[in-house]
Order: sequence, then structure tokens, then C-alpha cells
Amino acid sequence: MLNRQLILDKKMDRIRSMEESGTFKVHKGSRGMQKMLHNKLSIAGLVIFSVIMITSMFAPLFTSFDPLAIDLKAVLQSPSTTHWFGTDKLGRDVFSRVLYGGRISILVGFGSALGASFVGVLLGAWGGFRGGFIDKVFMRVSEIFMAFPQIILVLLLVSIVGQSMRNLIFIFMVTGWGSIYRMTRAKMLSIREEEYIQALRAFGIHPLIICYKHMLPNALGPIMVNITLSTAMFILQEAALSFLGLGVPLQIATWGNVLNAANDLTVLKSYWWIWLPVGVVISLFVLGINFIGDGLRDAADPSQQG
Amino acid sequence: MFAYTIRRFLTLIPMILIMTFLIFLGMDLTPGDAVSFMASPEAMANMSQAQLAQLRESLGLNDPFFMRYLTWLGGVLHGDFGYSLTSGVPIKDIVLSRIPATLELSVAALLISTFLGTILGLVSAVRKGRPVDHILTITGMIGVSIPEFFLGLVALLLFAINLNWFPIGGRLRPEYTVYWDHMKNLILPALVLGVTMTAGVMRYTRSSMLDTINKDYIKTARSKGLPEWRINLVHGFRVALTPVVVLIGFRLPILIGGSVVIEQIFQWPGVGNEFLGAVRSQNYPLVMMIALFSVFAVLIASFIIDLLTAALDPRVQLD
Repeated sequence: MLNRQLILDKKMDRIRSMEESGTFKVHKGSRGMQKMLHNKLSIAGLVIFSVIMITSMFAPLFTSFDPLAIDLKAVLQSPSTTHWFGTDKLGRDVFSRVLYGGRISILVGFGSALGASFVGVLLGAWGGFRGGFIDKVFMRVSEIFMAFPQIILVLLLVSIVGQSMRNLIFIFMVTGWGSIYRMTRAKMLSIREEEYIQALRAFGIHPLIICYKHMLPNALGPIMVNITLSTAMFILQEAALSFLGLGVPLQIATWGNVLNAANDLTVLKSYWWIWLPVGVVISLFVLGINFIGDGLRDAADPSQQG
Repeated sequence: MFAYTIRRFLTLIPMILIMTFLIFLGMDLTPGDAVSFMASPEAMANMSQAQLAQLRESLGLNDPFFMRYLTWLGGVLHGDFGYSLTSGVPIKDIVLSRIPATLELSVAALLISTFLGTILGLVSAVRKGRPVDHILTITGMIGVSIPEFFLGLVALLLFAINLNWFPIGGRLRPEYTVYWDHMKNLILPALVLGVTMTAGVMRYTRSSMLDTINKDYIKTARSKGLPEWRINLVHGFRVALTPVVVLIGFRLPILIGGSVVIEQIFQWPGVGNEFLGAVRSQNYPLVMMIALFSVFAVLIASFIIDLLTAALDPRVQLD
């Protein structure tokens, strides 16, 4: 306790001396951004995220192998300088499969999260603002979706609409919008009671404009956090589904599909390079997103001073 | 309380009706002849076309959609879930035979995650801002970021294949005579499932405990000169646990869902494994009925949780 007091005292002294000598810099930019940048974990998350994102986006610059090219002369080779992560059962270069797979996996994750949030936010803002019958209906529908265990519902829908990348994004949107709807709605309900809304109403401004232009931006903070975290969730789900062989069709390289090889006990036992690196990459990427989301959460929360 | 129970129970009914309706709609829209899962395969094998048509009529398959739904719902309420398309076994028997395995795995994982999660959360809250807290928080984040099936694979490779401590998969083997023999099979999947769920419980316990520690009565206890461990455990932790109990109840659906992947990796013969098999072989009636069954489980669990919350916390208003 005493130690902490001393540290704080020293900090204050330093700030005062800086102020007196005129070298004290006033921070520019938003306070939330500042807090975010001071959070070491979210910076680490941002770095991990960017590295994996950039290497996947510019995959052709980092590898000369085609992720789908079968080379039966180079089957099951262990990692070497030519094949960084070795090759799989069909002689495909695992490193390039991980990079190109990242493109699809990240696309599915972000696409679904954006789609689900778009639907959830659009409906939730209106439902929270107007209330009444529409709100009740949407609440009921979201309740129905949330009563299913997530993966059961996803698998059920996969079995009905069939396997493809587009269907997967659609399924994730259908299963994911409910929580974002509820969150947006709750936030809008509390904003609705504020006085500036009364003022806007008294001016006779159109409800749509009040709702989406004046209220929604104030509700976006926690929603942004939710979008990041659902991206992480959808990437994990895509990986799990593809691992089970029920996600993106197997001929497309995705992180989950690369891991699918580990269903085979001999691969699991003897050829670790096929599945271990990609598992680590997924974990790191999701960890990065979670760190960023956590930083965003702290930054958006005014009760936490940083 | 009694009136509340009744009222809460009544709100379940429309939900169940909607759910059954959706499931029936799903079954109606998916391909497959309805006769094949409404009549037992032995009976169907000895039938001529004319008899089949007659059966169709007597089963009410030519009725309008809504009538068929009511007939089907009546059957479900009497425990007639229809027949599996691939094996011809009554779906009820399949599900009932798989439940013990899933329940066993889920309960074990629930116990592990609750035990680890509350204790680690307590430690983390008591040592807030210290290195232990930071390490636990970061470990928790890593825990939610690793895909559970990947953790399962690594655990399988390390402990079952390389170290040979546990069997690779399965549940009841022919050589097992006593029930306890298969504990070795249970430990690994239960640990993996439990560990993946620990982070959430830990985080929740930590914030609940921090809320409690800042209450006035804790200050009173401290100024009375009680030892620190007593304040934390007896006065703080006990109160902080109430919301955690609720959270654990809410994890039940995640448990049912989460075990799908883990059951697959460890070849655990539970409901999740059966469900996956049904999805793969496009055995729609089985898929739909297992989904319906899991929804029932979730609805009933949330009903019990609501009652428990009302009973545990006098501040909850019963209206």
C-alpha cells in the first residue's frame, strides 16, 4: 500500500514538473483510443491479429505453393526449408494451406459477425426505440433461436440447407443475430429515456432519423465489443464444423479443413506438423481478437479509468 | 412462490408448442417419406403398394398439414418419437440409450469446471491487481481462445497415445466388469470439456466476488478483527456464489452442445455422437428429434433455474 502511494506521488511530481517546464503533451484523439493503446494486452492482440491477417491476405507473397496442388512425390514430408510446415497425405504444402485457409476462415468469421450484427443492430435499434408489438415478436423469435444449444442448431441447419461457404455464413447469421439484438435493444431502451431524445421528438424530427442517426451512435460502444467477440466465436465454430467435416466443403482450404486431417489416428500420432501448427494459428488469432475485444470493452467503459 | 411456479410453468407451454411446430415443419420440408419413420420397418417389409397406401391413409399422412402436426404432437406427448431412417430402431430407444453417457460426461465436466472456476476466481479476486490475478486472467483468455477440439486432440496425443495413461476413446469396453472400470475412459474427455468451460466460471466468480468484497458488511467484519481468510471465505465467498450457481445452470445448454465435438474426438457414445452421425447420414427424423429433445432439456433447465433464483434470492420479485 505504502509502496503504491510512493509510486503515485512520484508520478504526480513528474507530471507537475513537466507541466511547469512546458513539455507536458496534451493527448490528442479520443480518450477511448488512448486507453486502448495503453493496454499492453490489446496491443499484443493487435500485433498477433495483424500479422496473421496480413500473411493470409498477401498469401502469394509468402509462399509459392498452391494450397490445392497435389504432389504425390512429396507426401507426408516433415517440416523443412522448402515446406515450412511439411506436407500432408496428398503432398500439399501445409504452410500455404494455412495461409490460404486463413483467408476463408477469417472471411467466414468476419462476414458472419458483420451480417449478424447488421441484422441484430438494425432490428434491435428499432425494437428498443419503438417497443410494442414488433419488439415483442422479435424478442420471441430471438428467444426461440437461443433456446437451442448453439452447435445443435447450427448442425440442424447444416443438415437442412446443405454444406457450402455461403450457407455457413447464412447459418451463423441466423444463429448469431439474437444476442446482438438483445444487447442493442437494452442499450436503446436506456438511451430512450434521455432528455435530448425528448427534445428531438418535440422538434418533430422523424422517428427513423432519431433512432438511427441520433441514438444508435451512442449505443455502438458495447456493440462493437460484441462484434469482435462474435467474430472470434464464429471462427472457432467454423473450425469445429469443418473439423467434423460438416462446415466448408473439404476441397476448399480453411483452417478447420486443414485440421480435419487429425481425425485420422495415424496422422494424429505420427504427423504432428499437419495439424498442430494450424491449431496454434487458430488459437493465436482468436486470442488476438479476444485481447482486442477486451481492450475495447475497457475503453468503452467510462467507469474504468486507465 | 406456488403461484409463481405455476405461472412460470404456463409460459413454457407456448414455447414448447412453437418449438414442436418448427421441428415438425422442418421434418415436413426435408426430403424423405414420412411413412418410413412413422411405421416400424418390420411391418413395412411385408406390405404391398395397396397396403402402404392404406397405411398412409390410416396414419393420417394425407391430411392437411395442421392436422398432421396435431397427430404427430399427440404421438410425441405419448412418447412415440417415430423410427430412425437408417436403422429402423425407435428414436426413443436410441435417445434413451445414449442419455446416460452424455449425462455422465456433462456432470463430470460441470463439476470440474465449477470446482476449478470458483476457486481460481476466488484467488484472482482476493489477489486483485497482483501477478497471480494477471496470470489467471491471461490464462483464462487463452483458455477461451483454444478450440476445444484442438485441446482434445493435444490431450489425446499427450496423455493417451504418448504417455499411455488413459485409453484412446470409447466408454464401456467388453473387458469391464464393474461400473467404476470405465472411470479411466471418462477422465480425459471430462477434463478437456471441464477445462474449456472453466474460464467463464472463473471470470464470473471473480467479478461477483469483487462486488461482494466491496460491500459494507465485509468492512464491518474486517474492523471486527476477523482473520482475512475467514472474511474472504465465510463472509464473502458464500454470498458471491449465489449468482455463480445461476451461471452454472445457464451453462447446461452449452454443455449439451459442447459435448458434441468432444464426444466425437473421444468416441464417447453419447447423444452428441448420435446426433453427428444422424446429420452425416441425413437421417432427418433423428436429427430433428434430438434437436427437439435438447430444446426440451434447455427449457426445463431454465425453468428450474428461474425457480432456484427466486428461492435463493429474496430480492427477486415474483411477477
